[in-house]
Amino acid sequence: MSWELFWLLVEASGLTILYSGVSIVIGFVLASGICAAMLSSHRLTANGGRLYVSFFRGTPLLIQLLLVYYLLPKIGLNVPSEIAAIIGLSLSTSAYQAEILRGGFQSVPRGLLEAADMCGLSAFASFRRIRLPVAVRLTLPALTSEAIMLLKSSSLVSVVGVVELTTMAKDLASSTYQPLPIFAAAGLVYLIINLVVAGFGRLAERAAKRGHA
Amino acid sequence: MSIVPAIRARGVVKRFADLEVLTGIDLDVARGAVTCLLGPSGSGKSTLLRCVAFLEECTDGIIEIDGEPLGFGLGPNGERMRLPASSIRPVRSKIGMVFQQFNLWPHMTALGNVAEALVTVRRLSRSEAHDRAMAELDKVGLAKRAGHYPSELSGGQQQRVAIARALALEPRIMLFDEPTSSLDPELTGEVLNVMRSLAETGMTMLVVTHEIGFAASVASKIVFLDHGRLLVEGAPGDVFGKPRHPRIDQFLDTYLDRGAAGLI
Amino acid sequence: MTSLLSYLTGEDGRNILSGLINTCILWVIGSGLGAIFGFLIAVARRYGPRLIDYVLQASVEVIRGTPFLVQIYLLYFGGPYLCLSLGEASACLTLDPFEAGILGLSVYGAAYYSELFRAGFEAIPRGHVEAAETVGLDRWQTLTRIILPEMTMLVLPSMVNMTILLLKETAVLSIISVKELKFQVDIIGNRDYAFVESFTILALVYWALVEICGALGRAAERRLSRYRFAHS
Ligand SMILES: Nc1ncnc2c1ncn2[C@@H]1O[C@H](COP(=O)(O)OP(=O)(O)O)[C@@H](O)[C@H]1O
Ligand SMILES: [Mg+2]
Repeated sequence: MSWELFWLLVEASGLTILYSGVSIVIGFVLASGICAAMLSSHRLTANGGRLYVSFFRGTPLLIQLLLVYYLLPKIGLNVPSEIAAIIGLSLSTSAYQAEILRGGFQSVPRGLLEAADMCGLSAFASFRRIRLPVAVRLTLPALTSEAIMLLKSSSLVSVVGVVELTTMAKDLASSTYQPLPIFAAAGLVYLIINLVVAGFGRLAERAAKRGHA
Repeated sequence: MSIVPAIRARGVVKRFADLEVLTGIDLDVARGAVTCLLGPSGSGKSTLLRCVAFLEECTDGIIEIDGEPLGFGLGPNGERMRLPASSIRPVRSKIGMVFQQFNLWPHMTALGNVAEALVTVRRLSRSEAHDRAMAELDKVGLAKRAGHYPSELSGGQQQRVAIARALALEPRIMLFDEPTSSLDPELTGEVLNVMRSLAETGMTMLVVTHEIGFAASVASKIVFLDHGRLLVEGAPGDVFGKPRHPRIDQFLDTYLDRGAAGLI
Repeated sequence: MTSLLSYLTGEDGRNILSGLINTCILWVIGSGLGAIFGFLIAVARRYGPRLIDYVLQASVEVIRGTPFLVQIYLLYFGGPYLCLSLGEASACLTLDPFEAGILGLSVYGAAYYSELFRAGFEAIPRGHVEAAETVGLDRWQTLTRIILPEMTMLVLPSMVNMTILLLKETAVLSIISVKELKFQVDIIGNRDYAFVESFTILALVYWALVEICGALGRAAERRLSRYRFAHS
């Protein structure tokens, strides 16, 4: 396999990073809301949040992507397939992230919050200064692995015709008749990206630990 | 005629990497008596006990149980040498051990915990093992709880099951590593009572504890460890009585606020 | 409703059913083999020589760091180019879609299961093993009587999650035309231009399977919960 082919894969990986990065960020924003809904004392809101999470965690991403892709035009939204793909990825990851956040908030030891109470912190201050930072620290490893999971799953957007790393690899493999080296190279590129993400995750964990030791 | 002690340690050294935790311990534990091992935390009490149980291999020195070397022995020229692995099991089977953290197996009932080794190690039939285990649980006052899982027992009950588990194998020597240190004071009492009655049956016991009152009233010998050295040993009256070694004074200041002052 | 019923009877219904059965076969065999190999990997890494640990760790990281779809492409399209020649004779890794699917799922699952079992080994308190040692259990007895049962309780929830994840991954196999549920429903959807309907129904079926699996897992956890924590 030539360097030119490898370079094409590296270029295409930029799109993979773009689509997954945007989806992870949008997903996190959505997840915060869904997590709040799940932890809400309002019964209906909490159940709604749970239903959302259960659906998106309970169905294959491939089917979610296709559903979004075909459903959007039906309800009058003619968006490019890239946007449809980002919407699909964001919805999916938001459910996983929401569940991670919920777990994190619920495992903040009660004693910490009681201590905050006794120190006279307001409910808001206690949330912002104690519960949120502790929960984030608790959930950083899980959020990092979710980011990696999403990066990998983003390969599925190739089925709705979005160009990214896997699509590029597939096209090159069939035009050059070299599937073995090309898919191996594509895998290598994914692996490198994920190792970098994992590395950043560990850095973030260490920083968070130092901040709140 | 010299009486062979239940445990005889000579020149026992234990190093973890650069850290020398035991610096040449010589210790005799008499048969049929209770010996209490005291000392500040980090002084190496657990490490010594774990070496005696062969959970840890000592770096140097020799430990004999009832006169038989455990793990290491003296060669023909008086040099220390490793003994074959097959020689360890019979010596070790004379020892029972009780841990600070109970270490009951969570997926077995109290009865299951006690019966396990009777079946898998002693090869008793299920029903024999069951009867023996019940008898042991009865001795620690827990026959009624035989069917409970560890998660359904209080800390004190768990520790009594752990004692029954060790006793079921009829050890000659019982080692206790801070058996009451993870218990509330009120649960401590029930475990100490079981240990007291065990002592009355003439069991050889080596007990690491911070319960000075128990040590003073039950032990026939106190051994005080400090920084991996055996600092003082003797009868409770001698060790606790005045004049005291300044380190022991310090130690008692730290631990002696449990109404045990009257006992010593 | 009549139209939906008409799908379920006759030719279409038979195809959907065979797809569902294939999905279940892929799922059960894939996760079964994955769990078995994952366990062996975990044991080899824990008790085997250092070198084996490193090699297995690297392999697990590669599989966990690359998309399942790329692995499947590599296996299915690249396999025929992966040949082993011994003198005259040569054999290539030519797999039909179903074989590639089973192999891919098992390998992918094995990597994840192995990590889960490793975590399980780590989570067992050392003292529980030492207690077994002091009452005279040998290494094998300690493994089978203490470590394995205790680990089962510890890893059960993540086992269930992993198994659910593999069920969802089976849908990806439709891309290399494994005749599983999604593949069969796709055919009907394409023929009748009923994309949204067919994907909605697919989503509901997978959702139901996942929820059932999760509920069974939680029931098992509840039944086992009292074996789980000592008060220490
Ligand atoms: N496995 C080990 N590795 C390294 N250091 C250890 C280990 N076990 C104990 N130590 C060290 O040995 C010293 C004595 O420990 P220990 O015997 O547990 O003391 P004690 O039981 O008297 O409190 C401590 O400084 C401890 O940190
Ligand atoms: Mg200790």
